[in-house]
Amino acid sequence: MLRFIAQRLFAAAITIWIATIAVTLLIHLVPGDPVQIMYATFQSTPEQIEATRTALGLDQPIHIQYFMYLGRLLEGDLGRTIVGNQPVLDVLLARFPATLLLTTASLAIAVIVGMSLGFFAALHRGTALDVGAMLIAIVGVSMPHFWLGLILLFFFALQLGWFPVAGSDLRSLILPALTLGLANAAVLARLTRSAMIDIFDQDFVRTAHAKGLPRTLVLYRHALRAGLVPIVALLGFQFAYLMGGAIVVENVFAWNGVGRLAIEAVFARDYPLIQGFILFFATIVVCVSVIIDVAYAFLDPRIRYG
Amino acid sequence: MAAQVEPVSASAADLGTGSFWWALVKSPSGAIGLVIVAVLVIAAIGAPWIAPFDPLRMAAGPRLQPPTLTHWFGTDDFGRDLFSRIVHGARLTLMIGTIAVGISLTAGLLLGLIAGYAAGWTERVLMRLVDVLFSFTEIVIALACLAILGVGLTNAMIAIGIASIPFYARITHSVVLVERSKPYFEAAVAGGAGHLRLIFRHLLPNVVPTLIVVGTLGISTAVLAAAGLSFLGLGAQPPQPEWGFMLSSSRDLISRAPWMMFFPGIAIAVTVLGFNLLGDGIREVLDPRQRQR
Repeated sequence: MLRFIAQRLFAAAITIWIATIAVTLLIHLVPGDPVQIMYATFQSTPEQIEATRTALGLDQPIHIQYFMYLGRLLEGDLGRTIVGNQPVLDVLLARFPATLLLTTASLAIAVIVGMSLGFFAALHRGTALDVGAMLIAIVGVSMPHFWLGLILLFFFALQLGWFPVAGSDLRSLILPALTLGLANAAVLARLTRSAMIDIFDQDFVRTAHAKGLPRTLVLYRHALRAGLVPIVALLGFQFAYLMGGAIVVENVFAWNGVGRLAIEAVFARDYPLIQGFILFFATIVVCVSVIIDVAYAFLDPRIRYG
Repeated sequence: MAAQVEPVSASAADLGTGSFWWALVKSPSGAIGLVIVAVLVIAAIGAPWIAPFDPLRMAAGPRLQPPTLTHWFGTDDFGRDLFSRIVHGARLTLMIGTIAVGISLTAGLLLGLIAGYAAGWTERVLMRLVDVLFSFTEIVIALACLAILGVGLTNAMIAIGIASIPFYARITHSVVLVERSKPYFEAAVAGGAGHLRLIFRHLLPNVVPTLIVVGTLGISTAVLAAAGLSFLGLGAQPPQPEWGFMLSSSRDLISRAPWMMFFPGIAIAVTVLGFNLLGDGIREVLDPRQRQR
């Protein structure tokens, strides 16, 4: 078990290390002079441009630049934004709670709706109920979440007036969380259904039925618990997917998270902020996947004792 | 993107026969998918003849008119005919889907083949790198590419293509791993076949069926991603009749002109559904084990 955790942590460290190389290279892949491009949209003096070039270390050879970047990174310094000249890390941390709230709420909705639908379909395998549930799921998978967001906005915010169109309070969270959650529920429903069908066919479920245990006990105690294991393994992937989806959904609902910030940064060509965002995002996704892998190992004895 | 895609077990020879198409038409998802994709292709090719108006012509009708007999899907805030814009949008959508998948499929296939065939250190380093890229998630890779290249539809296509390379590399690699341990491959190695022959005559044909399935499903992912980027303003630019972009311009007019939001959204969803169903159908035909599911 310790060996497994150590392996996962090592792999995570390598991933984050490669991410630091990638973001350093990013600015060099820009065709033309990145500093000129960054200042293209607003007034600047030649001194300002030179100062930014020195601050970013762009007047140094590339390997020196990398070590400078790494050195500052270890001190928690991700540089300063071009627009507004603020510390990148502070800007990201100020916006992150909103994104975390949105993704966690969406994950909860996705798990509850998706797993119930998948379990229900597996239970009624081969019937019209199964086909209906899976039809809902495939339509859900095919629906662009920004469109679903606009539809929810139209009906629940504009027509019925139940929720605000945009805002940052808890009531404004419901529509974006539903949008992102339902889109992912469809994926989880399909996975849950196929995982549960595999479990229902296994010997231990048949044995439990045969020895006369009540049907609900067999379904919810024996089968569901075993079926959860492969689904938990995919939650890390789901979380990463939700973080990516949040970038789009935050923009539909003007939800002030890091995703909205990232799009603004791409438009403004604010390279220090883009670099910081990529590194920040990769670190969060990698950390969550380590946590989920370890949780999974605790659930599955084959890994725990392996 | 689909979380798990299992390798398809059919051999490439099964694809050439007429029975493949017959089996595809007989499976419900394959048939519906095929019809949707065929309609899209017809719309894309015949757009200038099918669309009653020029998609860019302003004041083709009154502004913000609800659907009528002349303007089936209504008009937008510039008085452009929405039906004509959506028909022409099919061209852009199909182009984006195929080019993006073409980029990621070709690069991913090469990476996966090389890693799987070379084994040892080359394999470990390449696949480690692919894993790292994979954990960045596709949208972040796409955003990084757009930050480098600048915004626009062509750059968005390239960005989406690059972002999915790790996915295709992983799939190809997993199929090659299975194939290289089979007796026929060991026999070919023992028989003294050269590297190129082993890769292109023996491994490649066995990877193709899986990649056809994954590539078809991949078009739907690419279409969704491109519409998303255009929705954010990073892809198609005005006045291009791109569906995602049309949706984003409908946002401020939702309460006055809801039809501007419904039709482009339906177009995207139906396209994605079509390629998803077609991909599922092809998989069922190529891999009968899946049918029992």
